[in-house]
Amino acid sequence: MKSLVLVLTGVLLLSVGCSKDRSFDERELHLISPEKIAGFDPIQISDMYSGNEAGKVYEGLFEFHPYKRPYELIPNLAAALPVVSADGLVYTFTLKKGVKFHDSPAFPDGKGKEFKSDDVIYSIKRLGDPKLQAKGWWLFDDKIAGLNEWRDKNSALEASNYAEEIEGLKKIDDYTVAIKLKRPYPQFLYALAMPQLFIVAKEAVDHFGKEFLNHPVGTGPFVLPVFEQTNRIVYTKNPTFREKFFPSEGEEGDDKLGLLADAGKKIPLVDKIIVDIIVESQPKWLGFQKAKADLLEIPKDNFDSAVVGGKELAPDLKAKGIRLFANAMLDVTFFAFNHDDPTFKANKKLRQAMSLAWDRAEANKLFYNSSAIEAQSVIPPGLGGYRKEFKNPYVKFDLEQAKKLLAEAGYPKGKGLPTITVQTRNETVARQIIEHFAKCQERIGIKVKVGMNTWPELINKVTKRQHQLYTMAWGADYPDAENFLGLLYCPNSSPGSNGSNYCNPDFDALFKTATVLQDSPERSSMYEKMNEMVAIENPWIFGFHRTKFYLSHAWLKNFKFMEFNHTQFQYLNVDLEVKKELSKKF
Amino acid sequence: MKQNSLWKDAFFRLAKDKLALFSLVIVLIYFLVALLSSMGLLASTWSQEVGASNLPPSLEHLFGTDIFGRSVLQKVIRGTQVAMSVGVAASIIAIPIGVLLGAFAGYFGGWIDDFVTWLYTTFSSVPNIMLLISITLILGKGIFAVYIALGATSWVTLCRLIRGEVMKHKEREYVQAAGAIGGGHMRKLFRHILPNVSHIIIINTSMQFQIAIKSEVILSYLGLGVQGEPSWGTMIDDAKLELVRGVWWQLAGATVAMFFILLAFNILSDALRDALDPKLKGK
Repeated sequence: MKSLVLVLTGVLLLSVGCSKDRSFDERELHLISPEKIAGFDPIQISDMYSGNEAGKVYEGLFEFHPYKRPYELIPNLAAALPVVSADGLVYTFTLKKGVKFHDSPAFPDGKGKEFKSDDVIYSIKRLGDPKLQAKGWWLFDDKIAGLNEWRDKNSALEASNYAEEIEGLKKIDDYTVAIKLKRPYPQFLYALAMPQLFIVAKEAVDHFGKEFLNHPVGTGPFVLPVFEQTNRIVYTKNPTFREKFFPSEGEEGDDKLGLLADAGKKIPLVDKIIVDIIVESQPKWLGFQKAKADLLEIPKDNFDSAVVGGKELAPDLKAKGIRLFANAMLDVTFFAFNHDDPTFKANKKLRQAMSLAWDRAEANKLFYNSSAIEAQSVIPPGLGGYRKEFKNPYVKFDLEQAKKLLAEAGYPKGKGLPTITVQTRNETVARQIIEHFAKCQERIGIKVKVGMNTWPELINKVTKRQHQLYTMAWGADYPDAENFLGLLYCPNSSPGSNGSNYCNPDFDALFKTATVLQDSPERSSMYEKMNEMVAIENPWIFGFHRTKFYLSHAWLKNFKFMEFNHTQFQYLNVDLEVKKELSKKF
Repeated sequence: MKQNSLWKDAFFRLAKDKLALFSLVIVLIYFLVALLSSMGLLASTWSQEVGASNLPPSLEHLFGTDIFGRSVLQKVIRGTQVAMSVGVAASIIAIPIGVLLGAFAGYFGGWIDDFVTWLYTTFSSVPNIMLLISITLILGKGIFAVYIALGATSWVTLCRLIRGEVMKHKEREYVQAAGAIGGGHMRKLFRHILPNVSHIIIINTSMQFQIAIKSEVILSYLGLGVQGEPSWGTMIDDAKLELVRGVWWQLAGATVAMFFILLAFNILSDALRDALDPKLKGK
């Protein structure tokens, strides 16, 4: 009996040793999502991870050029850039012809219908539907003529009336739409490139009802008939995808890097995308090492084994053909106070004291390998409104001043202040960041506790204002500082993007004036003023602007770091020859 | 020949088993450490920095330091407090529920028995860890939720055992005799039957205690356990990232601490069963 067991074990081990789950016949792209996906309903997307997944199935009217820098907006479902009226209020869009939605039981005969101007109007109305409480509503709130009125009117009705026409959303013919704005909105086209404005089909929304968020039916390059909350999402190439071609232009030097080798080819270039949802760092790292993922953001604890001297790729990785990408991000990390909570709202000094007590240099070293830049306020470097010389007097490590301010705030040595819970993601590093923060706060007598949540739970808590303090990072949606300043704009309060529910009339007034201006030195200086005004108010404890480090395997082609990357995947390619050759080394 | 009482007899038998006695001492030491720590006499400064980040074990820092330069030894001690308190709290919740439900079900039978049997089969049909996770999700995270969650899941075995024993005992002569001299149900149950099955409670508790400790570690590892306090589980969670850099001492500290208490409890509960179970007498 024992020998039989031994033989069986042997066979088992052997078969494990021989089986390779790598296929070399199909072009498969293996990616990792570090967070669970909160569903595929575009209007409810509020985080980049869900946006990245939705971007594989859905499309917007515009997208960012995958290679040109600075970022350039190019038409996606639109046929060209819009014609704008002289007063800058009416945008006329022509749409691409012959674009088909995915085949789905939602349509008659299961064949995807053609994309037309009605779908654009429907998708925008849906974002404003008061019954749906879209998380992306802040993008169009008070922007389009008649949309807010329609929203208000319908909130009293049983079901929203989509048949009613709205002044600002006019169908000219099946392939032409005119959108009228209330006032100039320079970020308008950027918004049309965002996941929240991805185009959906009314038939699919009606057919799937509440289950729509799990049944994405878009026009995009990949299809996913059903989304299940599992740890793996498999997208297949959309057989009815229109003729879309790989760009032939990029930033200078891109062709030398071989990024444009696929120019003129029909995209998408891969047959399948397999996304593994892996929250924890070590499995990600090991998966990449075993070539189970083509691309990886380097986890902090593996930084030293991947990058030598903070710059060079480690020799053992280089030998396997792995490449390193280091990119400063347009982002900011922060601890946001909930200004609904009277403890923080009326107490600026308390907020400032907590900011002063946090040892950022140490946090930078522990969590970002000292590669991040300390944030003085909300706007990251690289956007108009960031001034290098500006130093926030409360972004430094000064325990004495922190103690003094805490006493002035009415809590000498933290007496009388209840334990503060900081909500974060349920992940080891996220927890350690709060533990470090708590350790720093304890030095001035403030007790801080960690609250751990899954990503959807955390978003839910913030949206429902059930938090004292939460920590998160905000990545730019488009290259305009308005996107960051909007995080502290009062009308954007939860469920909008202002999770701190901070309100400052002076700031709001400036925001209203500045954000309707086109990009200009005047606007930049107004942004600077707002950025610095809000900095000393400390509605947040400002964290860092991070640098992201990516590793890619040699067979992954066409990857270039992209901030607004939800449409990037269709341009990526896999070199099967190289993969076959190199996979012997793994 | 003089006849000893069950308890005295059991004690002598336990005392003869050197290994069991040694285990008992270890368990008592853990209790003492936990008690001192909860009174603030030990490891009260666990959250303070004692040196640089991730220092390996040395004479100065016996178990090394963690990512924030805190003493791993102190964290282990503090973790002991958390683990032992979870064991105690879970027992305090589970014993009354298990004993009462089991005793009533076994003694009265009928619909009470049906109900209790239904209740514990329902509870035990749900995988334990799932039940724990859902309870902590409902109650919010934190040590209190862990107490309740473990208490609410660990009464099942005890309840089943007590029910079976009470069923057996209620037909015995001494219970009939108690009834014959006018003892009521409650008197028969609590004065006569329960003392005769109480050894089960002790044996079972010593087994459940270590299950509670293990569950606490698992929950904390998953981020569902104690928050903002060191726990062996969170230490192991930290370690899974640090191991690649060769930082092994957090894992070692937590596992060694866990290993000894679990081993001691295992040996002890075995020995207790040998000593207390009348069926094993003379073996």
